[in-house]
Amino acid sequence: MVVRSKTSRVLRTVAGWAVVALFAFPLYYWLTVAFKDGNEIFNWPPKIFSFTPTVKNFEEVFGISLGFGFGEQREVLPGGGNWRMGPRLWDSIVIAVLSTALAVSIATLASYALSRMHFRGRHHFVSWVLSTRMMPPVAVAIPVFFIYKDLSLLDTYTGVILIHALMNLPLAVLLMKSFFDDIPREIDESAMVDGASRWLIFRRIVLPMVKGGIAATAVLCFIFSWTEFLFVLTLTQTGLKTVPVVSSTFVTSTGTAWGNMAALGAAAMIPAFLFILLVQKHLVRGLTLGSVKQ
Amino acid sequence: MANVQYRNVGKSFGSVQVLKDLSLEIEDGTFVVLLGASGCGKTTLLRMTAGLETVTAGEIAIDGRVVNDMHPRDRDIAMVFQNYALYPTMKVRENIGFSLEVAKKPADEIRRKVEEAARVLNLTELLDRKPSELSGGQRQRVAMGRAMVRDAKVFLFDEPLSNLDAKLRAHMRVEIRQLHDRLKATTIYVTHDQIEAMTMADKIVLMKDGNIVQEGSPDDLYDRPNSRFVAEFIGSPQINCIDGVIEAGEGGARLRTQHLAFDLPQGFAAHAGRQVTCGIRPNDVTLDPEGAIVGTLQIAEKTGADVQFHLDVDGTEFVAVAPRSAYRQAGERMSFAIDPGKLHVFDRTTGARLTA
Repeated sequence: MVVRSKTSRVLRTVAGWAVVALFAFPLYYWLTVAFKDGNEIFNWPPKIFSFTPTVKNFEEVFGISLGFGFGEQREVLPGGGNWRMGPRLWDSIVIAVLSTALAVSIATLASYALSRMHFRGRHHFVSWVLSTRMMPPVAVAIPVFFIYKDLSLLDTYTGVILIHALMNLPLAVLLMKSFFDDIPREIDESAMVDGASRWLIFRRIVLPMVKGGIAATAVLCFIFSWTEFLFVLTLTQTGLKTVPVVSSTFVTSTGTAWGNMAALGAAAMIPAFLFILLVQKHLVRGLTLGSVKQ
Repeated sequence: MANVQYRNVGKSFGSVQVLKDLSLEIEDGTFVVLLGASGCGKTTLLRMTAGLETVTAGEIAIDGRVVNDMHPRDRDIAMVFQNYALYPTMKVRENIGFSLEVAKKPADEIRRKVEEAARVLNLTELLDRKPSELSGGQRQRVAMGRAMVRDAKVFLFDEPLSNLDAKLRAHMRVEIRQLHDRLKATTIYVTHDQIEAMTMADKIVLMKDGNIVQEGSPDDLYDRPNSRFVAEFIGSPQINCIDGVIEAGEGGARLRTQHLAFDLPQGFAAHAGRQVTCGIRPNDVTLDPEGAIVGTLQIAEKTGADVQFHLDVDGTEFVAVAPRSAYRQAGERMSFAIDPGKLHVFDRTTGARLTA
């Protein structure tokens, strides 16, 4: 341990907090907009701390009454002040969770095979998998639209879940493969000699060792699906819409409902945050600790 | 228990040939050590026996059954890996019992066998710990326990002690040998450490460049090395090698080097005129003022009971071992006598052993 002077320690702490503030401030500002009344949003200089908080934006976005803050003068906002976005949040959750589960399941199996099994053209396979992500999604969107039309997948959960899982697969496979590659081959071999089949080795020995990797991959897949815009926009009509796409409807011909948009954005952060909180306890390092002598 | 036969076994990785036409018979219940420098193919041979590498030529038979295309799990073998390869998410108990669990043995039998193995290996206290909570020696014992509960036909060890410190290694050497004596299982043990080989083996198979150089008991390899390579590989400190020419005189055969001359056993007269290398083990010389080996002491290393003298004999290093009482200071002239019966004579070009 290097002994550091007090000044250097103080400087490091200050620098650390400065960076945190830099990243946290936009988020904070966004939240204040969600809790501000229409006029206060546009105040100049902006009111950072001293404003009158209101839940009006949330009530309008979800079309519900939270039971407090009433009696205020309601102004007429674009969209009539009643967006009913609750079901859209639900759409987002269903699509993100299921597409993540699908992508991670397939990627885990595929990357274990790519990491452990020898077959002709294995290395080409890996780069081929990745190459599918090198095309700009816009180039794919129109063909996918027609394919979906023929398959009656337009405007369905299944359709969006599938496309999100497909978009996530290449990176998920690559990421998971690196986690499997980190597990010493001798562990598989040892289990093989112990009499276990491939599937049993995968399930009992290797899978518990890559829990952290699965969690990390799941977080990335979830966030991609949670924020994906293009495919949801092109492949859905009225049946379902996710938060990023409906957010764009706050921009109307009569103006932009900033307060409502911020409220939806703030609300949408909660499920994503909960999901990450749920998986992050598996994001522990050193799962292979003690297995082999390095 | 089973015997293991290798019939003209070959192995190539692409264009690199690692094993060449190797034949070997390992008898039931013997402790065989595959010895050699790294890259000689010994680990590959072991992994082929386990079924972790394919056999590109020839046949491997366990208990008379050719196992070339058999999955590792069907070969009835147990293996201890160099890096132990424990299952990190399982407790010691589950690690040891995993093979039995896979074989769907009843729970009480698994518990009994695991506890028995733990008792033998002194692991009873540690059964409910994870591998990450164990020391190197304890992990090594868990790896052994995993092999022990198997009742396998053949036990394979791939340099199991190379990650341990010297003291623990000496201790585990004894334990592994005792384990073998108790289980009487056919054991194939790979190492590059000739001391491990000498102390543990019933039979040593010394390998070089994918070939077997010599196989035999530790005494065979030490007393009758069939080539200069074997003589130099086996024995610590390493054997002294002196180049010279065999001369035949009326007194019998003599070896003449640039500056030295000493007697060889009578029979070597037949090889008169031959360019040879003479091997003399450091332990086979005695301090003698009249001795034929004369040199200047460079350094004297005390090893406890003995002293190792490093002499400069006309420009070549010569090592001799003598009791501690013979200790001298560097710079002194010393001479050692040789027992002609303990000399090893090798052809200088081929390195093959010459006999009288």
